[in-house]
Amino acid sequence: MNQDTKKTAVTLYGRVNVPQERCRVNFCTDMEKSVLMSNFERRSWHQVSQDDEWNFYWASTQTCRNLFSVESGYRMNDNQMINHFPNHYELSRKDLLVKNIKRYRKDLEREGSPLAEKAEVVLHGGQVVTRYVHLDFIPVTFVLPADYNMFVEEYRKSPQSTWIMKPCGKSQGTGIFLINKLSKLKKWSREAKAPFHPQLSKESYVISRYIDNPLLIGGKKFDLRLYVLVTSFRPLKAYLFQLGFCRFCTVKYDTSVTELDNMYVHLTNVSVQKHGGDYNSIHGGKMSVQNLRLFLEGTRGRAVTETLFASIQWLIVHSLKAVSSVMANDRHCYECYGYDIIIDNQLKPWLVEVNASPSLTSTTVNDRIMKYKLIDNMLSVVLPPDGIPDVRWNKVPNSESLGNFDLLIDEEFIDKDDGTNIGGRSVKHSKK
Amino acid sequence: MESIKDDAIHNTAMKLAEELKNLSIYKSIYSDVQKLVSSPNVNKEDFKQSLQQAMKEKGLDTKLRNTVFHWVRTQGKQSKLDPLTSLSKASLQWEKRIHKSLNSMCSDLETSLAKIRSQSEQEELTEKWNELSTYSLDLSKYRPVYAPKDFLDVLLTLSGYVPFTREDEPKWEFSHLPLQVKNLEQLRKIYVEWSNGEPLLGVNPNMPSTVPGFATLEAERIGLGERVSALGYAPVIQEFLKKGSPQCLRAKLWSQVLGAEVKQQQIAYFNQLQKSVLEVDLMIDKLIFKDVQLTASNDDQYFVFEDLLYQVMLCFSRDGEVLSRARSSALTVPVRGRNERTAFPPSGVVPFHGFTMYATPFCYLYDDPVQLYYIFRGFYIRYWHRLHYISTHPQGIVSLCLLYERLLEAHEPLLWIHFRNININPIRVVFKWIMRAFSGHLPPDQLLLLWDAILGYDCLEVLPLLAVAILSFRKENIFQVNTLQNVDAVLADLSTISVVPLLQLALMKS
Repeated sequence: MNQDTKKTAVTLYGRVNVPQERCRVNFCTDMEKSVLMSNFERRSWHQVSQDDEWNFYWASTQTCRNLFSVESGYRMNDNQMINHFPNHYELSRKDLLVKNIKRYRKDLEREGSPLAEKAEVVLHGGQVVTRYVHLDFIPVTFVLPADYNMFVEEYRKSPQSTWIMKPCGKSQGTGIFLINKLSKLKKWSREAKAPFHPQLSKESYVISRYIDNPLLIGGKKFDLRLYVLVTSFRPLKAYLFQLGFCRFCTVKYDTSVTELDNMYVHLTNVSVQKHGGDYNSIHGGKMSVQNLRLFLEGTRGRAVTETLFASIQWLIVHSLKAVSSVMANDRHCYECYGYDIIIDNQLKPWLVEVNASPSLTSTTVNDRIMKYKLIDNMLSVVLPPDGIPDVRWNKVPNSESLGNFDLLIDEEFIDKDDGTNIGGRSVKHSKK
Repeated sequence: MESIKDDAIHNTAMKLAEELKNLSIYKSIYSDVQKLVSSPNVNKEDFKQSLQQAMKEKGLDTKLRNTVFHWVRTQGKQSKLDPLTSLSKASLQWEKRIHKSLNSMCSDLETSLAKIRSQSEQEELTEKWNELSTYSLDLSKYRPVYAPKDFLDVLLTLSGYVPFTREDEPKWEFSHLPLQVKNLEQLRKIYVEWSNGEPLLGVNPNMPSTVPGFATLEAERIGLGERVSALGYAPVIQEFLKKGSPQCLRAKLWSQVLGAEVKQQQIAYFNQLQKSVLEVDLMIDKLIFKDVQLTASNDDQYFVFEDLLYQVMLCFSRDGEVLSRARSSALTVPVRGRNERTAFPPSGVVPFHGFTMYATPFCYLYDDPVQLYYIFRGFYIRYWHRLHYISTHPQGIVSLCLLYERLLEAHEPLLWIHFRNININPIRVVFKWIMRAFSGHLPPDQLLLLWDAILGYDCLEVLPLLAVAILSFRKENIFQVNTLQNVDAVLADLSTISVVPLLQLALMKS
């Protein structure tokens, strides 16, 4: 964008003549992480408390829910922004994510959309199952205790397979375990307090088919952590951060039954791996996504690598579309999600879960640089060109302010151009 | 005249034919030709013509040509006596020092240089061969024998290094050495594609192609690369690499240029090296473990490949072909527990701190240890050994340092003066880059582009040139600081350097 258009963009919002003093952004934060604070300081923002007049709130999900609750009676003005959508859990809770994606697929099927095409596939175990051709990006999953019978039915189809149990509301690998026998699940259910009486138990679990053929590099399992920024759900506007990373397990991958309980083999969460004896604090088991791409292109070739990264973008876009109808699309909100993705040895990506408050703690020097850039780029995407929060802005950042973000989708433009440029870099924001 | 020329060609051909018989590849070529002769494609009446045609069709022709190409490359490089006696003396002394320090490390640690592994040790090592990171060794007392800094100090004594005194001008230049190096004009003639401003990979892959039928430069390079690779003729592929290889073809192209394709024979040889690692415990093994741990294991770009690197580096130390092709002499020591002596190490190469970095970038191209091994060995025998041995070879480290100095003085005179004023020898701030061929300093994608140029132009001059180009790029920041520590800090992070544009800028005429 040249100087002239920049100027007109600014005058559009009538802010050119606002004196410097009144422009100052007041921020409030629930966590004083250094990557956040240094970014706020660099922008000369002024820190205030929650009860003061803030413009920009970096809130915990809890605070955000409280603010939006009916009881609080808080109403935001046009110059206020907050970093979560009120019901982000539609995407970030493991059970709701599955529910929403299942519903999204059914809806598309009912509409007769070509996206919902189904076909028979042969699993590497040998049995033939019917799967969605384009929307098969989450492992088969059931919510326990609600879907117990459906799970058992599926389990019986391939009794040798391994399943992974995760508590719906917890994160960072807590409460996760693998099972390969129905008896083990029954044992667990006896030990846990009456988990099969939903009215008695607070905690529900999801049980998913365990991806037991992950892509290994150097013999080790890893998953991807990608950052996705959503500035609006209707129309959907989302961006993918280029500097994601792979998180490696510290020990060699081993599917033998004896290693089933060794979480250092199976879980890539840094919070888990940190406690392993082999954790290295210099690199923290993290490798950049750019280097993953370099490795795959070098050892597997270009076409499969391109396909993999395109399917990852596809997966993200459709997971967001799956929740876009149920999200409270408050215009004061934006959110940065941490996507956890596992790639299997056929180079197919699987969505494992979505985190609404990805960790901003830096484990290594490079981690800190990357997260600083994440926050910096995110601020320039969510804020209007003059840097003052304003919900009347059309949320169309110019290409320079994207930084390391790539536009994944902007439905406003797809509708207008009638284009099909989903997940392509070619979608350019250039408004006259 | 004609007949003399014919005779010369005839004699060369005879010599070649004799030499070919000594090559390991001869037997397989010979039997392939025999098979062809007995096939219906070859007839008795027009024997020569039809055999040649059949060999072309079978790809034997290319194989033979490549064999001659690789053979010619190894000739004429046999260690002649170094013309500069002072250098060869220094080189001998340096190697003696290394060996002495190995010996004293050995006696301090009360171990031997070489001994037979016990049965249980052999079994454990065999079992953990694929995850040697879990092979527990107490390495706390082992230190790298030397670091690039130590080697530089030795090199500086060659030039009659006298520390700066107020009365005297600093005398740290390598220019006291009577060695010939190229100037920038001559480099421009070598890197002619670069200095002519031809489109190169590594600048902007989405740049539109000038060749009809291709949308982007990258697509064009992939299309052309696939064709030269299918042709399989090593000199043509080498030519292709000059303008950069697409990452997706690099693994194939590099192995073709180096003649490092893996066949049954190579696998057998590698297994033999592995066997020798499993049987005999060399003190050097611990130094190798230590070096992988100190470098690759702690590097976020390479830690995943740790286990692969242990295998490759250990086998390398046992490879006698490295000794015969890159080095001429090594220690021989008795093997404790066996009535024999061994060259120590059999490869003749004592690793320095960071030696593993010569192999790490290949992990982004090959995930098979055998393939990785032969590429690494190929690069080592062609290039890397020149970077850590003292010689007067125009591609040797001394000449490269001298080239760096000359380029800096001629093209960045203000920087040169600044370094003088703050009394820092400019080679100090870049030496580790040159000695490690920038590995571990540049991110892997940039490093692979740089190494394309090394292989494509078959020379190392690009290393000092890049060092000067980086200094030139960062000169404003260097002018702001006046201690070695701060200059190092300015140059510490090369993660934002784009190698190809920087080099092309340096080579193009203003």
